[in-house]
Amino acid sequence: MAVAPTKYVLRSYVRRSRITDVNRAQQPGLRRPNDPPVLILTSLATGPKHGHALSKDISEFAGVALGPGALYGAITRLEERGLIEPVGTEGRRRPYRITASGTAALAEVVGEMRRIADVGALRLGLPLSGRFA
Amino acid sequence: MKRRPPDGSALLRWYPASWRHRYGDELVALMADTLNGEDPSPKLRISIAWAGLRERVREAGLLGTTKPAAERIFAGAIAVLCAWMAFLLAGGRFAKYSEHFEQAVPRTSRVISVDAYNTVAAAAVLGGVLVLIGAVVALPSFVRFLRSGGWPSVRRHFRRALGISAVTGLALAGLAPEAHSLTPAQRNGGSFIYSVAFGAIVVLVSTSLVLWTVVAVAATRRLELTRRVLTTEIAMAALVSGTMVVMTGATATWWATVASSAPWFLQSTRSGSTASVFEPQLAATMSLMLVATVAALVGMRRAARSWREFRAG
Repeated sequence: MAVAPTKYVLRSYVRRSRITDVNRAQQPGLRRPNDPPVLILTSLATGPKHGHALSKDISEFAGVALGPGALYGAITRLEERGLIEPVGTEGRRRPYRITASGTAALAEVVGEMRRIADVGALRLGLPLSGRFA
Repeated sequence: MKRRPPDGSALLRWYPASWRHRYGDELVALMADTLNGEDPSPKLRISIAWAGLRERVREAGLLGTTKPAAERIFAGAIAVLCAWMAFLLAGGRFAKYSEHFEQAVPRTSRVISVDAYNTVAAAAVLGGVLVLIGAVVALPSFVRFLRSGGWPSVRRHFRRALGISAVTGLALAGLAPEAHSLTPAQRNGGSFIYSVAFGAIVVLVSTSLVLWTVVAVAATRRLELTRRVLTTEIAMAALVSGTMVVMTGATATWWATVASSAPWFLQSTRSGSTASVFEPQLAATMSLMLVATVAALVGMRRAARSWREFRAG
C-alpha cells in the first residue's frame, strides 16, 4: 500500500503549523497538542505500550480520555505512516513502539509547539523554555 | 445458560473486514479492559460506530491519503456515480409529480416553468449519456477483469440485482395495462389499490437501482484503469456533477414558478383555489436532489485534489 512519505508528512506539518493551511486533507493529525497521534507518540516516547496502557497514560499526562475508536483510528494512521510499529503480542493485546521516523516527527511537532509557546510566553512576559530563552 | 461477559466484540461489525482482521482483536481487548464486565455505554457504541464508518470510508478511498492517488480519483468518481443513482430516484419522483403541469399553469406565466422543466429533462438525458460513456470507456478493463477470474467476486451482487430487476420487470408489465385503464385522477391517488401497487413498484425500481449501483461499485473497485481511462472517467464525473447542479437549480426554479403562478397544482386542488406552496413530497424530492448533488461535488472535489498528485507522479 502506498503511503505519503514521512518527509512529506513532516514538511506538510511544518507548513500547516505556520498557519499557511496548505493541503489540509493530507495532514496526519499532528497539529494540536491534544491530537490523538501527538498524544500517542508522546506516550510511546517512554517505551512500548498496548491500547489500554496508552489510554491510561494519556489520561494521566494530558487529562484526555481517548475512546477506543479514536485511539485505534490514530494507531492505524500512525502505523500506516511508519511512525509506530507493533512489538509482538500479549494475548489479544498488541504493544506498539515509536519508530525512528515517529521520534523525528514528534520532535518536529514538539519543536513547533514550543516555538509557539515561547512566542506566547514572550508576549506575556513569562519565563521561556525554547529558542528565545 | 451463563451469559458471556460483554467485551464489545459485536461492535466490530462497523469496521471493514480487512481492518477487523488486523486490529479487531486488539480493539476488543481494549474494550474488555475498559468495560470491566459492564455493557458498552451508548456513547461508546456511537463512538465505535463512527470510527468504524470512518474506516470504511477510508478503505473506499474517500478519506485520507493512505490510498494511491489513482484509487482516490476513482473513489471520487464512484461517489459521483452513487450520487447520480440517488439523483435518478429523486428525478423519477419529480417526473411523476410534474406530470401535466402545463395544463395547470396559466398560459401567460408558463414559459419559465416549461423552460425549467425542459432543462431538467435535457440535463437528465445528458447525464445518462455521460454515465453510459463512462461505463463504455471502462468496459475493456471490465472484460480484462472478468477474463482474469474476477467474476466470482461480483457474481453474488450481479445475481441479486438481476433477480430483483426481473421481479421489477414482471411487476411493471403487470401494472402497465391496469394503469392505462384508469383515469388520471385514479392514477394520482384516486385508486387505493393502484396507489399501493405503484408504491411497491417504486420500492422495487429503487431497490434495483441500488443493487445495480452495488454491482458497478463492486466491479469497478477491482478494475485496473489506464491513465487515459482514468482521465476520461474524471472528466465524465465532472460533467455528470455539473448536470446534477443544473437539474437541482432547474427543479428549484420550476417549483418557484409553479408556486407563484399555479400553487393549486402543487396541492392537487381545484384550479384557481388558494393553496400552500409547500408540498412535503416535492420538498423530500428536492432534498434528495440537494443531498445527491452535494455528495457528487464532494466526490468530485476528492477526485480533483487527488488528480493534481496523480499528474505530478
